[in-house]
Amino acid sequence: MNNDHNVKLRLGNSELWGGLIGLALGGFVIWQGLKLKLGTINDPGSGYVLFYTGILMCVFAAAIIVSAVTEGGPTLASRWENARWTKPLLLIACLTAFSFALEPLGFLLSSIPLMLVLLRVIDPVRWTLAIPVAVLVPSGMWWVLKRLLLIQLPSGMFGIG
Amino acid sequence: MDTLANVAHGFGVALLPINLLYCFIGVFIGTLVGVLPGIGPISAMSLLLPVTLSGTPESGIIMMAGIYYGSMYGGSTTSILVNIPGEAASVVTCIDGHQMAKQGRAGPALGISAFGSFIAGTFALVALMLVAPKLAGIAIAFGPAEYFSLMVLGLVVLTFLTQGSMPKALLMACIGVVLGLIGLDSITAQPRLTFGRMELIDGIGLVPVVMGLFGVAEVLLNTEQVLKRDIINTKITQLLPNKADWQASAGPVARGTLLGFLLGILPGGGAVVASFASYALEKRLSKTPERFGHGAIEGVAGPESANNAAAGGAFIPLMTLGIPPNVVMALLLGAFVIHGLQPGPLLITQNPGLFWGIVASMYIGNLMLLVLNLPMIGMWVQLLKLPYNILFPLIILFTILGVYCSSNNVFDVYVMIAFGVIGYFMRKLGFEPAPLVLAFVLGPMMENNLRKSLILSQGDLWTFVQRPISATCLVFALVLLIAPLLPTLRRKRELVALDEGA
Repeated sequence: MNNDHNVKLRLGNSELWGGLIGLALGGFVIWQGLKLKLGTINDPGSGYVLFYTGILMCVFAAAIIVSAVTEGGPTLASRWENARWTKPLLLIACLTAFSFALEPLGFLLSSIPLMLVLLRVIDPVRWTLAIPVAVLVPSGMWWVLKRLLLIQLPSGMFGIG
Repeated sequence: MDTLANVAHGFGVALLPINLLYCFIGVFIGTLVGVLPGIGPISAMSLLLPVTLSGTPESGIIMMAGIYYGSMYGGSTTSILVNIPGEAASVVTCIDGHQMAKQGRAGPALGISAFGSFIAGTFALVALMLVAPKLAGIAIAFGPAEYFSLMVLGLVVLTFLTQGSMPKALLMACIGVVLGLIGLDSITAQPRLTFGRMELIDGIGLVPVVMGLFGVAEVLLNTEQVLKRDIINTKITQLLPNKADWQASAGPVARGTLLGFLLGILPGGGAVVASFASYALEKRLSKTPERFGHGAIEGVAGPESANNAAAGGAFIPLMTLGIPPNVVMALLLGAFVIHGLQPGPLLITQNPGLFWGIVASMYIGNLMLLVLNLPMIGMWVQLLKLPYNILFPLIILFTILGVYCSSNNVFDVYVMIAFGVIGYFMRKLGFEPAPLVLAFVLGPMMENNLRKSLILSQGDLWTFVQRPISATCLVFALVLLIAPLLPTLRRKRELVALDEGA
């Protein structure tokens, strides 16, 4: 492996970051366990398993950190090397926008633009195919669910769908 | 005689027109997701989990089971023709299967893969029929300590077999346990990790978590690369293997079937491990191991039989103990729970129609798969040409609808999207989601059994060691936890490490 791709005590070490996130999560779980009360070994409380799971998380996270520092690990940048990282980023942005639009706009008004953007963003489908697919598939699904299966989909502030 | 009467009863259930239809839908979708690289049985089953709500428990579970063993058949088609495994259990089939296809022997490769799968699938079902009721009888004697230790073993085996470092897999399992504990405490009814949100009182749903981690994350990962496919374009003829092919394959099919079935029963094991183990075994037993990797039919027959036998064997721990041995079975457990059923030692006696109906439907499903995968192979080859830029947006839409329909709750859609993004970054950083999902399902059961055993034993931790079954499970778990510290065993683990997510 290239030296630029395998680093030890550097901020770019992705393994180190993975371990640190695990350690933080473990600490949080321990704190939550303590807050919920551990109880006794004869009668374990609600926080008993959480507390000990948190400790285990810290142990495993520490093992990841030690391994990252002693053996090194790939840099964050190398994890996305030769990858079209903008595509998943755009997809995440679309899904986030969709999640905010779903309730206020309703299923149809939010999913048709979502489909259209996805069809054009991932590996662009020609407009003459993208538009019919983006309109017909969500509409068809909406019809089947709402009319045939009587499942209530969000209709939003305009009451469409 | 009892078994025969039960099988007859099971066929009575499985042959109902509605169950036949669900069985066909299941095996069809299974073959479809097996054929399409990038979507595995886990994604498909999580996508269709909400659909099981619309029918009877028998129909829903027959369909879900069909997807699982159907994907084992379909996965080999893509491996042989495109050199991309349709799902994780078919990775090994690529090695010799695609070489055979390149040499103009795609037909026999596909043929032996389908026949081997059929033979192994049938054997696994007969064994399931004979073993499951006996094991269920023994399982009645299991107490909370045994259940807890068995679940610990299952989780440790899965983390042992997961790709990447073991601490990472164990950390994922711990996170899964914590996520599974969100909601009301089953003993004290105290809310845990709900942060004042009413939506979290009942905990996080399995469907949004799995769909996010496997469905959305898979699409996010796949969009990063341009997926190229090198499809064998020659016309596929002579699907029936000749006499020499059968002679060469008979041993591998038999050994693969037996090995696969045994590995399928083990908690944490499954079809992927079985296929790798079978390939290694055949190569070691062969008088001409140098042919492996260059189109040896034994390299297709053994692993394909093993993965199907393992798929059948994996039903045993779920049906008899109520413990899912892998993520696919965890999803099937989800389907049982959705219908208010609890698989376990009492299922066979209390709900014989369901148990024997599922077993009988698997016979029928295997026959359907033989027809779907041999005469209709041309259709699946055409499907391999479906463009991903249309398929991926459709998968996203179906996951959104699937999650929403499972609970009629927009909050679950947010959870799914969040887990999709988390799953994507997890995979990028080398953290596999499979241990998380299995722990998410097992977590609440583990906690319940741990607390029950501590209350019953008045806080005596020796209760886990004094009971032989519990002690055996814990010793095995401990050995597996220590094993990666030894260099020889560490190398062995890296050889068999698997990617359950595909």
